[in-house]
Amino acid sequence: MNLQTDLKSEHVSHLVVSGFAQVPAGTPVRDTLARMRADRRVVCLVVDGEEPAAVQLVGIFTERDVMRKVVDVPGMLDRPVDEAMTLDPITIGPDASAADALRLMDEHHVRNLPVVDGTGKLLGIMTHQAIIQFLADRYPVEVLNRPIDPEQFPRKAEGG
Amino acid sequence: MSTVATEEIKLTRKDFVSDQTVRWCPGCGDYSILAQMQRILPETGVAKEKTVFISGIGCASRFPYYMNTYGIHSIHGRAPALATGLAIANPDLTVWVITGDGDGLSIGGNHLLHAIRRNVNLNIVLFNNRIYGLTKGQYSPTSRPGTVTKSSPMGSTEQPLNPIAVALAAEATFVARSIDSHPQHLAATLERTAEHQGASFLEIYQNCVIFNPNEWTDLSDRRNRDDSILYLEHGKHMIFGKDRDKGIRLNGFTPEVVSLDEVDLDEILVHDATSRPLASILGSMEFPDYPAAMGVIRDVRKPDYTGELMAQVETAQAQRGKGDLNQLYLAADLWTVEEREETEAREITPSSSDFDEMPITGLDEEYIDEMETPAEVLSDFQDLLVTSTLAALEPNVPITMGMRSSLARTIRQMNRHNIGCVLVTDEEDRLVGIFTEWDVLNRVAGLVDDLAQQRISDYMTRDPMSLKDDLPIAHALNLMSLHGFRHLPLVDDNGQPTGIISFRDVVGYLNEALEEE
Repeated sequence: MNLQTDLKSEHVSHLVVSGFAQVPAGTPVRDTLARMRADRRVVCLVVDGEEPAAVQLVGIFTERDVMRKVVDVPGMLDRPVDEAMTLDPITIGPDASAADALRLMDEHHVRNLPVVDGTGKLLGIMTHQAIIQFLADRYPVEVLNRPIDPEQFPRKAEGG
Repeated sequence: MSTVATEEIKLTRKDFVSDQTVRWCPGCGDYSILAQMQRILPETGVAKEKTVFISGIGCASRFPYYMNTYGIHSIHGRAPALATGLAIANPDLTVWVITGDGDGLSIGGNHLLHAIRRNVNLNIVLFNNRIYGLTKGQYSPTSRPGTVTKSSPMGSTEQPLNPIAVALAAEATFVARSIDSHPQHLAATLERTAEHQGASFLEIYQNCVIFNPNEWTDLSDRRNRDDSILYLEHGKHMIFGKDRDKGIRLNGFTPEVVSLDEVDLDEILVHDATSRPLASILGSMEFPDYPAAMGVIRDVRKPDYTGELMAQVETAQAQRGKGDLNQLYLAADLWTVEEREETEAREITPSSSDFDEMPITGLDEEYIDEMETPAEVLSDFQDLLVTSTLAALEPNVPITMGMRSSLARTIRQMNRHNIGCVLVTDEEDRLVGIFTEWDVLNRVAGLVDDLAQQRISDYMTRDPMSLKDDLPIAHALNLMSLHGFRHLPLVDDNGQPTGIISFRDVVGYLNEALEEE
């Protein structure tokens, strides 16, 4: 039994994927940052379209973009987020396997894969965290229910 | 009423962790419940000083020691009674009762029933592992018929109690169920339990890893648990299954599992947490005949006991004035108990020899094999989780920054090395903080005018959790899954950073491990 066997049979839709912030294309970087802080999200999806049900994904803007393209680049805050985002990000469908998602992330060196279904609906962000959560739930005895401090030993016997 | 200053401070999980050594067996489901309780309590907004945990006797009942709140480890089965008194005497308190299937349903069954029936404002959490764990493996009031234990060598012949049905029989105003191995569901259900006014009853299916380890396997197995659990949501259809392709329909008074391919959605039951008959039906759905109903089964509002009782006291005092306890004592018939001459002490001789000569029946021998169920065969992967150490991940040498470094320099360093996280050290190179790209997004970008003028020590997270590299990988997984840490620093015995590991490192290593087999 290895991890790959499990990950091949688990669909992305069966994992607990991360949430995301969302802004329309053209939103200034400053407002995008405010949205991400308010929602406490490290990923923001940039979309086209007004109707919430029929938005089109155009780009992804993450904390890494903040590091590399915003924080010490003068004037960036007032530019539209489109200039700092990654255009047409690689996405994955909900019925793809977790193993496929991992492979895709490795191949393209990305940490956040938007999960998009056949109708274009944005469902969440696949990350390594989803795999960590899966493992914790899959092996509760080994992982979830570990003694809290491995170096702490009871000094005397105690009943009750 | 004056406001206590402490109530306004935003508490964190750490505020609820006590300094006591946790004495549960490694792998015990109680750890998961403790972690989720400590996680949700800050969210409820109740001050530590206003929170009390009361327990009886048993493994679960050690809970109050581990919570940094008030707590009483009380008498076997009597936690609900003690808690009732406390809730009445001080209605400002949030009182939690922690009990188990033995403590709550056998030894203290009576007390539990009446605390629920009276709708005392308590949050009662019953850890159900269907076994007596602390006394080393006897069958409990929730053990299934046929359960072979030390006290039922030929299998239990008793009909078990269904805790949900018991709570409903006492007309509980809030009844819910969750399971230790599903932390997200458990946290959400604990929060709902805390919110309810009046007696809240939460049953948690909990794994006793030593004496009853396979009791909940079908419900806890991550790969197919969604096929075995019906997650209840008020106002939503009762649909379940990994692919959400099954539903619950009523056939007369009997619920039945149907496939959504064959049955229209409008035939599927819709959950209504205010419906008493529906609660009974859900409570009666026993796994494996049905999926186990999880979540809030019943949630209604009724006057709570303290309010009703105190209203009566106020009315009585308004009519007749405040009473005097001494007068009350003296008002009734009085006796004086006088000392009598001592009677001759009765002699009791224990005849232990009787026991020594008791014949050993063939029974023990015959059933001993059945009791000693062979240990579950662990997969290589499970073995890897607990035997492979963090050193095996070959962690990257960490990029460290001194506390006095400017934000500008730190961010340049992070970008140069293309990393999302640096460790911050003091003059003696000991780890004092961690600074990540989330901190940049959350507290720096667009908020700090001159990056060169600001020190990293004002923006980092202080005293991050750190690990030694001789710990098993499972330990890092535990911290990452419970707290969502994306990076964990590794330190040596002097507290100096030796490495840093991320989600990606752990998943990558585990994914490649055992690949050849």
